[in-house]
Amino acid sequence: MIGFGNPALLWGLLAAAIPLAIHLFFRRRPRPTPFPAIDFLLRARKETQRRLRLKKILLFTARTLLLAAIAAALARPHARQGAGAAPIAVGPRATAIVLDASASMRYRLEGRTLFERALADAREALAGLSPEDPATAIVCGAEAAKPEAPSFDRAAVRRTLDRAAPGGGHADLTACVQAAAQALSASKAQEGMGKRIIVATDLTASAWRLDAAPPAVDTPKGPVRPEVSVLDAARGAQLPNRAVVALEAEPDPAAGARGYKVTATLVQHGAEKAPEVPLSLLVGFGAEPKVAIRSFAELPAGGAVKKSLLHGFAEGGAAAVQAQLPGDALPLDDARALVLEVPRDVRALIVNGAPSPVKYRDEAYFVESALSSPASPVRPRMVDAEAFAREDLSKVDVVFLLNVRSVGTKAGELQRFVDAGGGLFVSVGDQVDPELYARELGPLLPMALHVEKTATAKPGASGAGAARFAELDFEHPALSVFSGEAREGLLGTRTDRYLLARPARAGAPSARVLAAFDDGAPALVEGLRGKGRVLLFTSSVDRDWTDWPIRTSFLPVLQRFAAYLTGGLEERRQAVSSVGERRTLRLGEGESLVALVGPDGRERPLAELERSGLARVPEGVTWAPPEPGLWQVKVSIRGEERLDRRLAFAVWPDARESDTRRLDAGELTAWFGGESVAKVAGDRGAADGPELPLWSILLVLGVAAFFLEGLLIA
Amino acid sequence: MPDQPRPSLLDPQVIARMGNLRLRVRAITEGLLSGLHKSPHHGQSVEFAEHKEYAPGDEIRLIDWKAYGKFDKYYVKKFEQETNLRAYLVVDASGSMGYRGDPARMTKLEYASAMAASLGYLLVRQQDAAGLVVVAGKVETALPPRAAANQVGPMVDALERCQAAGPTELGAAIDWVIEHAPRRSSVIVFSDLMDREEKVLRRLTQLGRRKHEVTLFHVLDPAELEFPFEDPTLFLSMEDERQVEAHGRDMRKGYLELLGRWLAEVRRSALESDVDYTLCRTDAPLDSVLLPFLARRERSAA
Repeated sequence: MIGFGNPALLWGLLAAAIPLAIHLFFRRRPRPTPFPAIDFLLRARKETQRRLRLKKILLFTARTLLLAAIAAALARPHARQGAGAAPIAVGPRATAIVLDASASMRYRLEGRTLFERALADAREALAGLSPEDPATAIVCGAEAAKPEAPSFDRAAVRRTLDRAAPGGGHADLTACVQAAAQALSASKAQEGMGKRIIVATDLTASAWRLDAAPPAVDTPKGPVRPEVSVLDAARGAQLPNRAVVALEAEPDPAAGARGYKVTATLVQHGAEKAPEVPLSLLVGFGAEPKVAIRSFAELPAGGAVKKSLLHGFAEGGAAAVQAQLPGDALPLDDARALVLEVPRDVRALIVNGAPSPVKYRDEAYFVESALSSPASPVRPRMVDAEAFAREDLSKVDVVFLLNVRSVGTKAGELQRFVDAGGGLFVSVGDQVDPELYARELGPLLPMALHVEKTATAKPGASGAGAARFAELDFEHPALSVFSGEAREGLLGTRTDRYLLARPARAGAPSARVLAAFDDGAPALVEGLRGKGRVLLFTSSVDRDWTDWPIRTSFLPVLQRFAAYLTGGLEERRQAVSSVGERRTLRLGEGESLVALVGPDGRERPLAELERSGLARVPEGVTWAPPEPGLWQVKVSIRGEERLDRRLAFAVWPDARESDTRRLDAGELTAWFGGESVAKVAGDRGAADGPELPLWSILLVLGVAAFFLEGLLIA
Repeated sequence: MPDQPRPSLLDPQVIARMGNLRLRVRAITEGLLSGLHKSPHHGQSVEFAEHKEYAPGDEIRLIDWKAYGKFDKYYVKKFEQETNLRAYLVVDASGSMGYRGDPARMTKLEYASAMAASLGYLLVRQQDAAGLVVVAGKVETALPPRAAANQVGPMVDALERCQAAGPTELGAAIDWVIEHAPRRSSVIVFSDLMDREEKVLRRLTQLGRRKHEVTLFHVLDPAELEFPFEDPTLFLSMEDERQVEAHGRDMRKGYLELLGRWLAEVRRSALESDVDYTLCRTDAPLDSVLLPFLARRERSAA
């Protein structure tokens, strides 16, 4: 059989027509020239006409042959002879059948998946064994293979094959083949037999590690190379595939307060580029998420491209996005999901203790400006101290008391609000009476207020005597964003006046000092009260006592305080896991796991999950998701079952399985030890017999034609 | 052929180098000769013609001592018989003689005309009679031999006037010479011998049989001898309508073989017929052709 290494180059054979084309279309017109000895020319032509005609034909043939031989040689033709399989050991052979069950085996080729083809190959190979051949089967998936020693129990081998299914993870065929070699070494009774490994696979290059040691079977005479037959499920066909191999999302104010930039990395494995591939961004949980954006991407042949899409979420909380390409032969990697924690809206109530018609003298002007800036998740609403008494605190998440003289009867409600999880920020000023605060807000304040201290002799001047922030707790979630030069915005703050705070009494709830002035007096103090949090700033939030409101650090600190006081800063998502990787689900208090809903929408009850490896750990449960996609968690709280979006998670396919580039059969054969021990069946590039390189013969022909042409011209 | 300025037929350089030689006939011609030319008829009276100033090489016995006594200078006597060498310069002006392979070169006719005029001038200068026959298909011009000094002018005019045209008919010129020339004349032929009559050399032997001395200058262009054509060429005959389309490179070998055979045949025939044969390439200087010829004649006449 004749084959070609570069069949596309056969078009070059058209070059063989160049001499004919030149003869027909580019023939030079003879130049008329008077010449006296015309008789001699006539006689010379008569004498040499036959010889010249023969020479011309030979010259034309040599040139055509030269071009055709070179063009055909570049296509690397080769011939194969019928025989030449790897030598087979005489007598019975212990055989291990390795079945590739990796994710790429789900590739659908001519109506059947590669796994179905490989399984049929494996069954056929098993049926072809002689009764004296002991056999075993190894299903090579994401988990490490645990092969058994070859036996004569064919039914057990068939059962192993029948149970096999293609997984969603990456399979290391090198490890599986080495495990098969170990299995062939295991039985002492089979030491005298020949050893053979049959591998049914799709020959994707990413499944093999050819830099590792090739498999060897231990025998009493030392390690020997087993006879290896690789059954190519793709039958030599190329496997073009396009995939989403990465997905990232990061906040982007350009898309609004809850805007995100979602960046998908797309790859195209194949010889042809794909212009205008539709890319959809799906948003939402459930079986049918909503298409938020439709876009197009141009994928280069054999290359990757990044595509960024902007999307603004309508509300905060857990959100799911998926980047999806049109379905292809390997649908497993056509989409990737991501679960985000979109910042929630924070409803803030600002109680202005010292309002003023002049903005910069208003106590709440700087706070309100900081909280209501663009892209801020905080929705502030401002009231004065009198109106505060009429406010319903159940409709707010955090309360800012800014230089309020007295909360009066609202103190009890404020206490309950904080105990129930509300946030309270307290700043002081000239309206604040420490003794009155001790009576009304004593249980809430992290530290009791004492007397006022003036740091400079001249009030309002930012001289050398002004107090500065010192001992800042940059580990605190609200301050952790400040690093490097950004800290100067906090450290450069000058404060002239502040209230001293008494240390917490013994037995009182603990207080955390986030910042202190350089004389050691607490400046920012955090206290936990019930489920809520309280932050106390011992100076003012206008410019009366400090210049902090005009510092660059004021806006981010206030926004983060608002988020921190409502618990929003701690809401973090676990990193995305891959198929087969164990993931821990941290169940909330009072929650119990009922089921997991897979990407296909099918609910997997707890019993089924336990059978497939779900384990309980102190933090919750761990489990290795077998399929990529978006998984939702159904929990039970006080007898009520619901899907907890907070626990939903995304699982990504292994990017190595998306790489469907094929391994060269010759390379694999060489790794196994050469054609004497290994062969690849079903590959177009590796037929049964040895390869006869016809291109070298063609090159010799071309060289001969070249010399003949030169000889004729001479 | 592009019109090129015709070079002077009497190139002074050529004439200056030939001035020290004298043309001598090879064989003893008939008639009464003394002085430069030996006569087979010794003892016959000859008619005094004129005095000539002595020059080295003149015979001392011919010095006129009386004149020496009068003028104190040596003079030798010259007689009519010394001039009875009759030379017929036969120039082929057929179409093929109009060829030149390189525009920088003379055509074969121009080259032949220059040689004929030079020789005619020399002959007349030493009191020999020179005549001219120009043939182009037929005899176009015929000037009977005369030894008068004013003979050169009409010869040069006739040569300058003639155009290369018509077929080569050298036989017509031979017939004319046979008909008009007395015995023991010298016939000098300038031709490329591209004659359709293949045995034209055999015709020349008829002149030898009539005791004429025949000299043949075979004038050929270097392109005819080397055939430098490489590309596809349509070769057109210069004398008729024939044409040959061929690739120069392919034809060269066969052509040169045929030409070589033909030139060897011409040389052999000339030798057999006692014809003095000289092959003249038109790129060769005229003196390099004439001087060996004259020297050869000098030796044979001595």
